[in-house]
Amino acid sequence: MTAARNCVLTGALLALLAGCGNGSGDETDSGPLGALAGAVAQTVAARRAPETPAAPPKSAQEAAAEALRVNPGPLIQVGFEQLGRTQVMAMTGQNGALRTYMTPAEEALILRGGMLVGTRGLGHDLSVAEPRTEALIRAGGSGNGQRTMRYFSGDGLERPLQFDCSVGPGPTAGITIESCAGHGTSFQNNYLVQGGQIAVSRQWIGPNLGYVTIQTLRP
Amino acid sequence: MRRSLLTRRLLATTLPAALVMGSVSSTAVADPMLARNLSSFGLPGGIDTPTAETLADGTLGASLSWSDYARRSNVLFQALPDLSVVLRYSRVEGINDFRGEGYISDRSLDLHYQLLDEQGWRPAVAVGLRDFLGTGVYSGEYIVATRNVTPAIRVSAGLGWGTLAGKPRTIDVADEGGTPNVDDWFTGGANPFGSVSWQVNDRLSLVAEYSNDTYLARYSNGREFQQGDAEPGSNLNLGAYYRLGRNYELGLYTIGGETFGAQFSLALNPREAPYPSGLEKAPAPVRPRPAPAADPDGWSGSWSQDPTAQPAIQKALGDAMAEEGQILEAMALSANRAEVRIRNQRYVNQAEAVGRTARLMSRALPPSVETLVITSTADGVPTSSVTLRRSDLERLENTEAGQIAAASLLSDAPAYAEGMVRSPGIYPRFRWNIRPYLDLGVFSAEDGLTHEVGAQARASYEIVPGLVLTGALRQRVFGNIDQRGPGIGLPGTRGQYYTPEEYLADPALETTPQGVPRVRSDTRMYTGNSSPTIPELTLAWYAKPTETVYTRVTAGLLERAYGGVSAEALWKPANSPLALGIEVNRVRKRDFDSLLDFRDYEVTTGHVSAYYEFAQGFTAQLDVGQYLAGDRGATVTLTREFANGWRIGAFATKTDLSAEEFGEGSFDKGISLSIPIGWATGQPTRDRAGTTLRSLSRDGGARLEVQDRLYDRVRESHSVRLYDGWGRFWR
Repeated sequence: MTAARNCVLTGALLALLAGCGNGSGDETDSGPLGALAGAVAQTVAARRAPETPAAPPKSAQEAAAEALRVNPGPLIQVGFEQLGRTQVMAMTGQNGALRTYMTPAEEALILRGGMLVGTRGLGHDLSVAEPRTEALIRAGGSGNGQRTMRYFSGDGLERPLQFDCSVGPGPTAGITIESCAGHGTSFQNNYLVQGGQIAVSRQWIGPNLGYVTIQTLRP
Repeated sequence: MRRSLLTRRLLATTLPAALVMGSVSSTAVADPMLARNLSSFGLPGGIDTPTAETLADGTLGASLSWSDYARRSNVLFQALPDLSVVLRYSRVEGINDFRGEGYISDRSLDLHYQLLDEQGWRPAVAVGLRDFLGTGVYSGEYIVATRNVTPAIRVSAGLGWGTLAGKPRTIDVADEGGTPNVDDWFTGGANPFGSVSWQVNDRLSLVAEYSNDTYLARYSNGREFQQGDAEPGSNLNLGAYYRLGRNYELGLYTIGGETFGAQFSLALNPREAPYPSGLEKAPAPVRPRPAPAADPDGWSGSWSQDPTAQPAIQKALGDAMAEEGQILEAMALSANRAEVRIRNQRYVNQAEAVGRTARLMSRALPPSVETLVITSTADGVPTSSVTLRRSDLERLENTEAGQIAAASLLSDAPAYAEGMVRSPGIYPRFRWNIRPYLDLGVFSAEDGLTHEVGAQARASYEIVPGLVLTGALRQRVFGNIDQRGPGIGLPGTRGQYYTPEEYLADPALETTPQGVPRVRSDTRMYTGNSSPTIPELTLAWYAKPTETVYTRVTAGLLERAYGGVSAEALWKPANSPLALGIEVNRVRKRDFDSLLDFRDYEVTTGHVSAYYEFAQGFTAQLDVGQYLAGDRGATVTLTREFANGWRIGAFATKTDLSAEEFGEGSFDKGISLSIPIGWATGQPTRDRAGTTLRSLSRDGGARLEVQDRLYDRVRESHSVRLYDGWGRFWR
């Protein structure tokens, strides 16, 4: 919401600037004004969306069942808590242990055996996560480790954030908890590990996107 | 050399937390003391007085302040973490000049430098120069200290000179302004000033200040004016500022208790993008090769003997690249090496185009191809090549971007590469669009806000790579930017203009009384046409005679006011921060109807240029040569740019015209801004919004505005820009 408002506000200034000078529409077909109009329209649409649902939303179970019927490949069901969306994502690529899952709108999550490694297309993406706690989590062990999460800052550079994490069993049997702190914030990832694979989890993407819950529908 | 550049540019990203965490409130990093509000002069301050605060590095701000004393439009740029610069356009009320309109228009420039940031018991300390180019209505200097007393209350105290001491200096009526009067600085007696600000809550802050400004203007011809209606009733000013969202602020204030004012300001921080990582669709992932046993033909390379292989692969790759906003212009393919020439039409950072192309190549090429060469092009001409090993691409997917950078090689791209096959159906290439346009004149205190609205059609026809025919047609619909002759420019006629009829009737008027040809000061003669105009109609040819030399020849109607031939050559190795260029133009002045006719004035103008890319996004440019009016001199341009594509620059030109010949302002100077639209919307696009703010449109130091000069086009894919944006390789 904040981001959406910023976008509109910023847009207002750009319209002003676009008017003064020569927006050198380099190669693309929509000019500065067109691009801004589009952006504003999208923002407006995004705001209206929750108020006027087009069709009665399918329940998460219905969506999962339908996806399993239609798509023969590996599937996960994810819930973006901050965005308030639950979606089914299908695997679109595999490179060794790394799997890329996408929504129909081509937003992506990248997982390594269920561990969140990156996101794409969400606006505040996690570029890459380097959890040195991964082995502990998979083994169901206890201990400490560091976790580096890389993000884009607004100036266009990839910047690392380091967190100190401790791993241990949670209050519920079978759940491993990774508690991390650093840079004035803290978060807690929960994993359900089965045979070294993370079958169900709730993991922190970053300061803006918050947590995502990931459930394996078909491994 | 290359490695150290790399390390500097992308591995040393260690100032990170606050930038990414942004909204997480309790970042325990020692933030610099950031301003709560802008003063009526557009700088961190109280109401009229300055404070020792700064804005976040790189912030671009604008503010409008109205009161009975003045209407001020300020543009602020935090050029360095501790240096703020303000360009101000004011309508100063109560002063009568030759026009007798009861106000004057005034332009001024301020510098504000924070010497020390607050630390422990030590307050932040700043020093500043207000209206320091020549002696102006607002000229004064200060040194000020600011300290947080409680988290909510901040106190500033300082010493001011000039207007800030209530002792305005005498303004020399004969001075054209524009040059600093260093001898006057910090002289004439100082007086203390101070302010207290109380941050009531997240949005509201209240300010009280003690100011010495008497709002008096004294001129060397003995005349003296009280600005506004009267001297402030007391030294005490009060103000309230209310923040709207993250970027906007509204303020109400009183000067001395009797005069009231209002203020609106906004501040944009290039580091605070609404969608820092962009909203573009996720890239297609790398497809690792199958085991050799699973595809023995593909691994053996025998497929390369099949003449149908390359066309099929090139078609598939070209289609996939088109989906991601890029054109596969040509491809050379052998059993173990593939080179592609790409034209990036979508991404601000060339690294993102290169990274996406590399991944698509991993999906399209048979397994025996191990060496991937991705050659970027600009205007149909190859500019640089990135060479990667396919096994590195497979191994390093989803790792930090610096790793693939270290495993890749950037080199100059040859003009001709062996075996390069052009993709069919791409040339000739015809593009067109029709769009509304809006011209706004914001910063003219005399004219107020001016505008013109209309429609423009633009088409380009690229016959072969590098040979482009471009034309535009514009129709004004409505607006108040009317045709007007230039200022008369004789003593005692300041602010008076010729009518278009007077100006057209007497060709002798096309030279100023000081003998300078009117090359830009009659620019308003080109406006207000109610019939269609042709802003440009050119044939351009781009080429590359050697690996590191680029050329451009453009002929036709080059810009609104000039037509002719423009030729340019640029030496720019891909890994060099230094570039050298030369440009020669023979142009003739176009007729005021902006169609196909010309006027009599003809001139040869051209420059020798040196460009250098410093660290931290600063670039410098020096142009030496002959300008449009035949005057000779040099232009210095200093630009700051961010990896996300923001560019903010300042330039100054001094030629052999005397200050009297040049007129008000003494020499040409200005600020240019360019902001990628994608930064604001998150959508991937190379569109930009930009403008150039000049102090005045004058005839001295004027340059031809030819489109698509080589430097900015070529360097997009060269080391500094490419590696600055390399973080987007895996996007």
